[in-house]
Amino acid sequence: MSSASDYPVVSSAASRDSAHPSPRDLDLLRQFEPVARFTKGDPFTPTDVIHYVHDCSLWEHYPDGHEELLVKEGELTLDKLVEPRPAAFGTVRFLRFIENLNLAEAAQVLAALSRLRARKRNHFSAGIGRLARGGFLPRIVDGLFTLSFLLRGRVSAATAAAAELDFHEMFKEDPRYVYYGRVVRQNGWTILQYWFFYYFNNWRSGFHGVNDHESDWEMIAVYLYEADGCLIPEWVAYASHDFKGDDLRRRWDDEEELKKIDGCHPVIFVGAGSHASYFRQGEYQAEVNLPLPNWFLGIVQAWNKFWVETLGQPPSNPFHIPFVDFARGDGLRVGPGEHQSWSPVLIDESTPWVGQYRGLWGLFARDPISGENAPAGPMYNRDGSPRSSWYNPLGFAGLDKVPPPPDALEMLKTNCEKIDKRQEELEAVISKGARSLQSMGINLKGMEGNPHLAKQYAALEKKVKTLAEEVRGLRREQSENRALLQGLSEQCQRMEAGVKDDPRAHIHHLATPDKMNDVFRFDRAAEMWAAISLSLLLFIIAALIFFAPRYLWAGLGIISLLFLVAESILRSAFVETVSRITLILSMVTALILFFHFWKWIVVSALLAIGAFLMYQRLRELTG
Amino acid sequence: MPRRKKNHNRKKNPIAILVIAAAIVVLFLIRLVQVLQPLIRQQVFRLGFTSPLLVGWKLTLFGRELLSSLFYFLLSAASIIVLIGFLRLRRWSWVLLMAWTGLSLVISLVNYFYSQPNYVVMASNMIIAFALNITDVKRIFGIRSDENVLGI
Repeated sequence: MSSASDYPVVSSAASRDSAHPSPRDLDLLRQFEPVARFTKGDPFTPTDVIHYVHDCSLWEHYPDGHEELLVKEGELTLDKLVEPRPAAFGTVRFLRFIENLNLAEAAQVLAALSRLRARKRNHFSAGIGRLARGGFLPRIVDGLFTLSFLLRGRVSAATAAAAELDFHEMFKEDPRYVYYGRVVRQNGWTILQYWFFYYFNNWRSGFHGVNDHESDWEMIAVYLYEADGCLIPEWVAYASHDFKGDDLRRRWDDEEELKKIDGCHPVIFVGAGSHASYFRQGEYQAEVNLPLPNWFLGIVQAWNKFWVETLGQPPSNPFHIPFVDFARGDGLRVGPGEHQSWSPVLIDESTPWVGQYRGLWGLFARDPISGENAPAGPMYNRDGSPRSSWYNPLGFAGLDKVPPPPDALEMLKTNCEKIDKRQEELEAVISKGARSLQSMGINLKGMEGNPHLAKQYAALEKKVKTLAEEVRGLRREQSENRALLQGLSEQCQRMEAGVKDDPRAHIHHLATPDKMNDVFRFDRAAEMWAAISLSLLLFIIAALIFFAPRYLWAGLGIISLLFLVAESILRSAFVETVSRITLILSMVTALILFFHFWKWIVVSALLAIGAFLMYQRLRELTG
Repeated sequence: MPRRKKNHNRKKNPIAILVIAAAIVVLFLIRLVQVLQPLIRQQVFRLGFTSPLLVGWKLTLFGRELLSSLFYFLLSAASIIVLIGFLRLRRWSWVLLMAWTGLSLVISLVNYFYSQPNYVVMASNMIIAFALNITDVKRIFGIRSDENVLGI
């Protein structure tokens, strides 16, 4: 386990509460800069924005649908990017890295990329693909998701290829790995943010993922606290899909979850194409939930509740699509202790391109669910609103409620003292109240049997009730405080003794890589089946419509069942699947039976209840 | 005569097991009737196998009836095997019974929509399916509820 004395520390006093970055901030960033481990075959690496912006044109998309070129490619600079340009509400400003390609150009680009990849020998192999990892129903939903690209705006495969070629050319001229560092001080914490800029997110086209878009911004943060004039790291947070708040951060001493180089450089396993950051090496299932209407989600939720709570079945959601994020860490490595090192650049709100450009950093693909639209810069969301990880870096990782460790003990002791004091007050108040209650009680007793005191008796009785309620409440508070105080005191003792809590106690959903070896019985067969099953089902439906339309529905039902059973055998889930199917069929049967025999069922139920109640009562009667 | 001591430690099986066993017996009897009905209709017991089963590649009425009888015979034979395993609380019998009930439900539903429904079979299968899913029953047969969570 690492301790504060294990790593060199930087004095923070000079830069405390400063609004602008100082040279000391750069030292601090360098001291804890991460080591990035990429997946083999990922063509894009973090780079600087200057070349990218120079290769882009600047556009505006107006609410009426038309687009206007503001600055041509080759003429754009960071200064021109931030020139004030008033625009109407609903206008989207965006960069365009790859210009529209015609068919011949697209073919040329794809061929050139294929040659480049062959030359680089940096191939990516998916292994057990994502299709085999999801069940049959999610695969059907995935088919619909793929078809949805025909209707939604999307970034073409040729665009992704052209971006990869352009990045390759740029990198030959300027082979640097850049991060943009920012140092923020909030509520006793010093936060080091490392922002990474990529030319392109090719998760979909390169790694069978969810989306492609021009440009990509990713971030990780290290949280330090001050003790004896030195800064000590306590938490690290990585931005990642599907997770937020507490789930994003790991404690510095969590050796199992957080890998470090030389004790002070956290290791990031970068998702191939998506560039999401992971703490552990592996392949992660990122789930995309379909944007379904609320009424439908309500029905699904009610069904799930019935399915899990009433029928005792394991929960499942066929309306999410499993995508794999490959964070294998078997490719390029950048950072301290590796062959490639970082070129850091300091940024803050006063950096013009950070604070003054609110547009998108790549193509606005007009995708209504935004997956294919480029992101905005580090400080803003796609709609131009401030990004929470920028203005609220503590809240981003759920740390807004966590005091720095030295303050924590002090705060805890103060709270204990406050509760102690309150307990003393309560003791006195309760004692006084209890005494009054007894006194009133004895008066009440004295009034009994005197009809002429009825009014006074009622008034006093009301007072007694009110006071008794009050005393009861105070006693409850005292009892709760006692338990709270005990918990806080124990925590105080643990902290004073230097005993730390479970480093993962704050995590609600822990991102864990897939354990592929345990999942499939017949790897290759499962993969092959996953690839062809959906198409095969469609072919069979077509054949049924053509050759045996009379038996379409029965045939469809039987074929679906056979498919599900085949699937379950390949996925080692036969028992579970057969059980689920049978249960669903029995519910359909129950509905049919109720439809035909509801009168008999109601009469039988009434007779049964009546007989049961009679039996109970007669047993009571006969003793 | 020595008195047998009552074993208080012996756990009682849930009533659902008896219900399932009873339902299997009911289904066996019904399936047996379904085995015999076509044979009686075709007077097999009186005349024997006199008619051809196939004309060219097509099944004759006699062939169809015989095939249906054979199919129901297999189902009823399976139910006896399952019943024996079930009463001996074997894990395989739970799995087999669940699969058998599923298959039986499919046949019942196809019959309901396309020919003559048999409501007694439907009800019996439904009862078996629900009873097999009771947590206590699953526990007795060693079926974990979180087994193969990958599902479909």
